Amino acid sequence: MYKELDPLLHSQLRLAIISILISSEKVEFTHIKEETKAAAGNISIQIKKLQEAGYISVEKTFKNNYPKTMLSITDKGVKAFESYVNDLKKYINLK
Amino acid sequence: MEKNSLTPEESFDIITKAISNFKINYKENSKSFLLWGWIMSLASFSHFIVIKILLSTEAYELMFLFSFGTWIVFVFSGFIIEYFTNRKRIKDKKVFSHLDRFINILWKVTGFSIPVVIFLSIKLEIPPPPVFLLIMGTATTITGMLIKFKPVTFGGIAFFLFSIVSTFVPNENTLLITGAAIICCYLIPGYFLKSAKE
Repeated sequence: MYKELDPLLHSQLRLAIISILISSEKVEFTHIKEETKAAAGNISIQIKKLQEAGYISVEKTFKNNYPKTMLSITDKGVKAFESYVNDLKKYINLK
Repeated sequence: MEKNSLTPEESFDIITKAISNFKINYKENSKSFLLWGWIMSLASFSHFIVIKILLSTEAYELMFLFSFGTWIVFVFSGFIIEYFTNRKRIKDKKVFSHLDRFINILWKVTGFSIPVVIFLSIKLEIPPPPVFLLIMGTATTITGMLIKFKPVTFGGIAFFLFSIVSTFVPNENTLLITGAAIICCYLIPGYFLKSAKE
């Protein structure tokens, strides 16, 4: 028996965002946009979903009068990512 | 980019690509290397000149005050410059990596250990450079290994050699060794880091 993969992480963009955040303490929104090459609106929607699940935290500040959004992964997000990767391993091993 | 029916292989591919494409630019560390390299080497040479002047004028009672004063002036200037340059750098920084945080803590702790080294040296009546260079060597080697940049790692190792060498020279000349060590082991690797490809 293998577990169902976390539907929140089992999405291309959300998984890419979490994978970037796992390697860092804090990452600016624009950097996520550059790395994923996704549309800002789409990223915002996915970030909101991840934030609502408590996987990431969002910090909004200002830089030269422009809004600056910094994202970081929470402990809950780290645990979710770890179990997602472990579940993935089981799927691949079963094949 | 959104796609909901991912296979486990595709998921692994996304994770691997996201992590491996995520290159952190460690060149920005060179700014601290250059700033503190110049500050500490100039402080060492200035301290040496101050001691020579005081010895020639036989003003021995001023030795302690001027020795401390020289370092305090340089180090304080360094902190002021760093405060303003860091403020701008942090504002513009897009990625704060775990390694950034670790290196930052490492150097803060190293910085706080320097006054302890000076206190111990006064108490034990030994010149500070050998222990100072040893601590600098430890922090520089760790930094070099963490950012995987050989000139910084070798610089750190060379600090250990300078630390040993400094025990074989007369007291005031240890300052020349300290200045030379900072240039060779800290400032020059800092320039290598600055000119390194991203």
